[in-house]
Amino acid sequence: MSSSDQSSPAHLPDPDDYKGYREPMLGVMKRFGVTVWSEVVARTTRGDFQGLVLPRSETSDAEHMVLKLVSGYNIGIRHDTIESMEAVGYRKAQYKIPEEPFPVDPDKPRVMLLGTGGTIASRLDYRTGAVIPAFSPGELYGSVPELADICNLETEKLFGVFSENMGAHEYQVLARRVGQAIADGYDGVVIGHGTDTMAHTAAALSFMVQDPPVPIVMVGSQRSSDRPSSDAARNLIAATQAAARGPIAEVMVCMFGPTSDRYDLLHRGTRVRKMHSSYRSTFRTLGGIPLAMVQEDGAMEVLEPNVRPRRSDRQARVQVAFEDKVTILYYYPNMQPDVIDALVSCGYEGIVIAGTGLGHVNKKVYPALRRAHEAGVQMYMTLQTLWGFVQMHVYETGREILELGVVPLANMLPEVAYIKLGWALGLHPGDPGKVRELMTTTIAGEMTEGEPFDGYLVLQGAVPEARELIGKVWW
Amino acid sequence: MPRHRPKASPPAPIDLNPRTDPPLDFPVRALGELTPRDYEILGFMCGLEVHQQLDTRGKLFCRCPAGVRTTRVDAEVLRHMRPTLSELGEYDGTALMEFRTRKEIVYRLDRRTVCTYEIDDTPPFPIDEEAIRAALEIATLYGLDRVSELQVMRKQYLDGSIPTGFQRTAMVALAGVLPFPDSELGPDRVLRIRQLTLEEDSCREVSDVGHRIVFRTDRLGMPLTETVTEPDLLTPRDVAAGGSLLAWVARASGRVRRGPGAARQDVNVSIAGSRRVEIKGVCQHKVLPRLVHIEAYRHLELLRIRAELLRRGVTAEQLVLPQLDPPWASPLAIDARTLVGDRDGPPIQGARERGDMIAAVRLPGFAGILAHRTQPSPHGDLRFDHELAERLRVIACLTARPFMAHTDEASSPVHESTWRELRRALRATADDAVVVVWGPWADVATAVEEIVGRGREALVGVPSETRQAHPDGTTGFERILPGPERMYPDTDTPPWPVPDAWLGEIDASQPERPWERERRYVEELGLGARAARVLVERGLYELFDALAPSTVVGRRRLASALECRLLAWWRESGTRTLPESERLRPLVLAIDEGKLRPEAYDEVFDALLRADDAQAGRVLVEQWCARSPEPSLAAALDRLVAAAAERRFSSPDARMRWALGQAMPTVLGHLAPAVVRERLLAVLA
Ligand SMILES: [Zn+2]
Repeated sequence: MSSSDQSSPAHLPDPDDYKGYREPMLGVMKRFGVTVWSEVVARTTRGDFQGLVLPRSETSDAEHMVLKLVSGYNIGIRHDTIESMEAVGYRKAQYKIPEEPFPVDPDKPRVMLLGTGGTIASRLDYRTGAVIPAFSPGELYGSVPELADICNLETEKLFGVFSENMGAHEYQVLARRVGQAIADGYDGVVIGHGTDTMAHTAAALSFMVQDPPVPIVMVGSQRSSDRPSSDAARNLIAATQAAARGPIAEVMVCMFGPTSDRYDLLHRGTRVRKMHSSYRSTFRTLGGIPLAMVQEDGAMEVLEPNVRPRRSDRQARVQVAFEDKVTILYYYPNMQPDVIDALVSCGYEGIVIAGTGLGHVNKKVYPALRRAHEAGVQMYMTLQTLWGFVQMHVYETGREILELGVVPLANMLPEVAYIKLGWALGLHPGDPGKVRELMTTTIAGEMTEGEPFDGYLVLQGAVPEARELIGKVWW
Repeated sequence: MPRHRPKASPPAPIDLNPRTDPPLDFPVRALGELTPRDYEILGFMCGLEVHQQLDTRGKLFCRCPAGVRTTRVDAEVLRHMRPTLSELGEYDGTALMEFRTRKEIVYRLDRRTVCTYEIDDTPPFPIDEEAIRAALEIATLYGLDRVSELQVMRKQYLDGSIPTGFQRTAMVALAGVLPFPDSELGPDRVLRIRQLTLEEDSCREVSDVGHRIVFRTDRLGMPLTETVTEPDLLTPRDVAAGGSLLAWVARASGRVRRGPGAARQDVNVSIAGSRRVEIKGVCQHKVLPRLVHIEAYRHLELLRIRAELLRRGVTAEQLVLPQLDPPWASPLAIDARTLVGDRDGPPIQGARERGDMIAAVRLPGFAGILAHRTQPSPHGDLRFDHELAERLRVIACLTARPFMAHTDEASSPVHESTWRELRRALRATADDAVVVVWGPWADVATAVEEIVGRGREALVGVPSETRQAHPDGTTGFERILPGPERMYPDTDTPPWPVPDAWLGEIDASQPERPWERERRYVEELGLGARAARVLVERGLYELFDALAPSTVVGRRRLASALECRLLAWWRESGTRTLPESERLRPLVLAIDEGKLRPEAYDEVFDALLRADDAQAGRVLVEQWCARSPEPSLAAALDRLVAAAAERRFSSPDARMRWALGQAMPTVLGHLAPAVVRERLLAVLA
């Protein structure tokens, strides 16, 4: 049974009795003996209203009480309009997602799904609007039954944090767990993750779990799974396909290709970036093309010829470490040198600069860069343009910056460089030469030898080519 | 791919008609042949949900323009909808149905009318306060209790008409009554209004064929109010009157949009023993009576079918397909591909050539039922097989007609000997009906489940459905009626407290309600009841009040000209615009001041409508007033004396009528007919 209703007017006091309510509404509720989950009839200066008292969101004001009407609508009643109020019942409900046993088929691949906190699948509590996550195989089968056609799924929840709270500790726990899953013989690993920092975690895994024999696929959703238009189920199905049967054994992100429901794209973990705050098609491969497409029916087409193929061995190089004292310095004209001095005096060991153009900063900060270099801070140059390569030999300014000890990182993305530097410094504390060697050596496609002509395609609206594309083709 | 079959939740009990005793022996009668008492015997109950677009500049949750109608297509987006689980881990009936149709939903976008909000790629922007203000003003006119704080909810719609899969909607006000006098049902009647909500409009449907439904997004996101009445409407005529009343009151706010599609109503109908059925999106009040009359009879016929099936001992247990995938190879359904042959008609041959799946379904105890009449239509009455065909069209997405045949048909593409073989294979007796259905494999699998499912629902009587109206007054299946559990809070928008200052302002500046205005026109201004009603109904009162003639004759003439001459001008010119009051004012003044006689009213009015501008109109009236009647009359009399001598008349009276008709136009507006008559008598004598 998935819900339990209690019905008793004389219930025991509960700290949640006034959940979210503050003065002045709280006093009115107490005066009339009304709590959250009371069925009330309220006589107000604006008419009579009847409904169920819901908890109030902590971020809403303290003036109103939320009532769920029998029609399903919620309304707010202001404290000073209430003349009298009578509790005529009490209905509290707690819900669980229904579980059905996930069917096991010995002929299907085994996939491990690791949870980090983002909701992959979920169900709504219609009274409060709370989203109840579905995560166990049984819960997932109840909401995305298509998964059973693909694989035998096992799940493990590692953390319950929002994407923005993922950090050094979580990267390391996750990387070790992925390494274990590889050793345990799973045919693929899927990692559910919030989208905001999914690319950072993908980069961290790319360096911490090198050369895996099976796919490691990160997945999330841009529209939460309690919405009928959600991309969550489709992304999860595509990611599970890629992990269970896909030919590419790399750390990847699997998300919508276009905004239309057409196909998912697999992006390399070191080349992927979230490029829109809310579009479904927010993830893009930068400096290259996506590795593969996953179609609606599960068919996969590999697009990038240079991928690491799936292997049958169980070997992966798991190297887990992270140094926190690393930062990204996003350069802007008129930057003052004291910003850099402050980082040095705070004990930062590594700075990734996101420079302008081909990799530039202004002359004013040169002395500060020199001081940082002399203090032993590792400094690397990446690009604000995101697309293209650092090229510091073209202009004299670039050559001068090189002489200050700033090391160019080709077309490594700034966030990827930040993750890699934290990892390298963590792995080799006190060995700057080793760190520098790691940083300038490509491990998982984070730097490429060139850029394909069809990677950078930013068509802007209204130009004829774009009109043709979006008018006839799904975008 | 295997087909997953989620469980459906049961329908809500609130949809039942309070009376459970259907008058099964009630005679079949046309609209207009039944009295209010007859509808009472039927247990006829009807409520309205009126959707009225608001006349705001922008949309409700983004700053795109409202009210721009377009067919331009700059881009298309394709989506699917996936049902979300209800509280009990079951799927809402509507949600389940939409999932079973496996539709591709295509949205057509015109860059001038949509941004990324409408296509669900950007969260909502702050709610449009102009729309809230308008909704509050209308709610106040309806006499409703206004809430302190608006809470935006999400109401799920999985048909694709809204790309998010839900409509953002907020309760504005509840529980009011409007005076609703009726000559037959009583002078003191009221129409109770349950609620008024503010919500965003959905897409316009372009086409819905097979597994692909196409929508335009220009209307999407425009603010509208939904006003829901209690089921107080007791006859078909009453339904139309209720719709008109709500429309006039809303219009009195001056805040609603006019024109095609700006106001649409859903009608809820039930009779004793049936449950609520919702007819969606009716744009004109005048078609309502016929629609609800036919729908009431559909309920009655379905209840008769139910009674007959129960009499025959048919049970729900006999109408359950085993959980098989595919659903044939069971006692109720078989693969019929090897049983049909060259002897069968062209549709079957076509299916064989295409390699379609062909299945046969046995409906135990249904012999004759499929030919039972359900809806009268000038194009041939609709029968129970129409109920089946509609489910197959909408849910199984079968499009290439014909896609089914059955044993209750007089002529069928399936040969007699094939029917015999099918009956044998299905172990069907003479009491059973057999249905054959063909089409793509997956669609026929859904179709078999739907045929058995609709058969099972026949035992309930009237399934809870939403239906679409056809021009002949019949209706077709649209979808399963959604349950109340499809509503949940919108976490993207904060609550919106209603300022006391707003309510104070609104209460202090209440426009006159239609019935108040009508009474004032009759009692204070001396208009006839009919004229007063027309001014209010047709929305002509603003112009009338702006001109405000000071004499009774001036008022009556203006009301009559607005009713007859303006409407004729609209028909002639194809426009629906009201003339500026300044254009008509010289005429109103000339009549009030006695400079022009009322006989000239319509002619001058017509000329003013066609004048280049108000200035030209003023000159025109001045010229009329300045005309001296004497020379024209004298000339006319001379002409008439000569002309009359050459004509023969049956009587002196006929001669006078003819002469008056000739003379009056020359002195129109200046001399009273009696005066002209005097003069004619003198010269013709
Ligand atoms: Zn917009």
